[in-house]
Amino acid sequence: MSNRRSRQSSSATRISDDQMIDLVSKLRQFLPEIRERRRSDKVSASTVLQETCNYIRKLHREVDNLSDRLSLLLDSVDEDSQEAAVIRNLLM
Amino acid sequence: MQPTSSMNKEFLKKWQMGLQIFRPSIDNTSVSERKRAIKLSADVAMASLRKGTTCWSRALIQKTASEDNFLVRQMLSGIKEETLINKKLPKVMCHRKIVRRSKKILMRRKSRSAMEEVAAKAKKLVKRKTQGLRNAVPGGEFMSNNVLLIQETLDYIVSLQTQVNVMRSIVDAAAAGIER
Repeated sequence: MSNRRSRQSSSATRISDDQMIDLVSKLRQFLPEIRERRRSDKVSASTVLQETCNYIRKLHREVDNLSDRLSLLLDSVDEDSQEAAVIRNLLM
Repeated sequence: MQPTSSMNKEFLKKWQMGLQIFRPSIDNTSVSERKRAIKLSADVAMASLRKGTTCWSRALIQKTASEDNFLVRQMLSGIKEETLINKKLPKVMCHRKIVRRSKKILMRRKSRSAMEEVAAKAKKLVKRKTQGLRNAVPGGEFMSNNVLLIQETLDYIVSLQTQVNVMRSIVDAAAAGIER
């Protein structure tokens, strides 16, 4: 296979078809747009890369939102209350 | 390839450890300081799951250490420092304008068929999207090999999912506990 050559060089090579197919199959479960297409449809490499990027950034935003929510929850609670104890048990 | 329950448990344990380190001060700080503590602990916890075996986790630990060296050293006291640092030099970025200009000159000399044009544009697009992915994954600048980039991306995504799932469970449980 002509792709084998590019797999072995370590400089920036184009992603080969095999690698892309592998990536797509693994990302199918995460990426709704790609999952919804029929298996026989080809998905372009640039679409997969873009969707992967979008998904990662979405996860970053979720972590940020959750950190916000948690810090507000910790703030809204009285030191000696029962709620404070609940949170302390969960987290610390 | 999904987050496993053992990954979830390990993440939670590490994250709790990180928050414990902030414990003495957490009651007297501002909301934004607390958020920072929560986020930094969560990131170190996520990266520590890989024990220095992936590029992204090493890069994330380095980045967090530059923001809070004490926290990182406390949370990772068991691991040798050498395993945690990316030793390879980052991929050298070419000056875009100069490259574009010299490519234009070369292209004028060749005559290309329509099909070649389309293929060339597709190649360019993939290259651009690959660079975008490299920017999204920590330590991407160290991944000169595209195969490595993909492998690291997949592992990073699974780890992020673990982080999000556990954090969401905790936040929902805490919110429910307060409302009662």
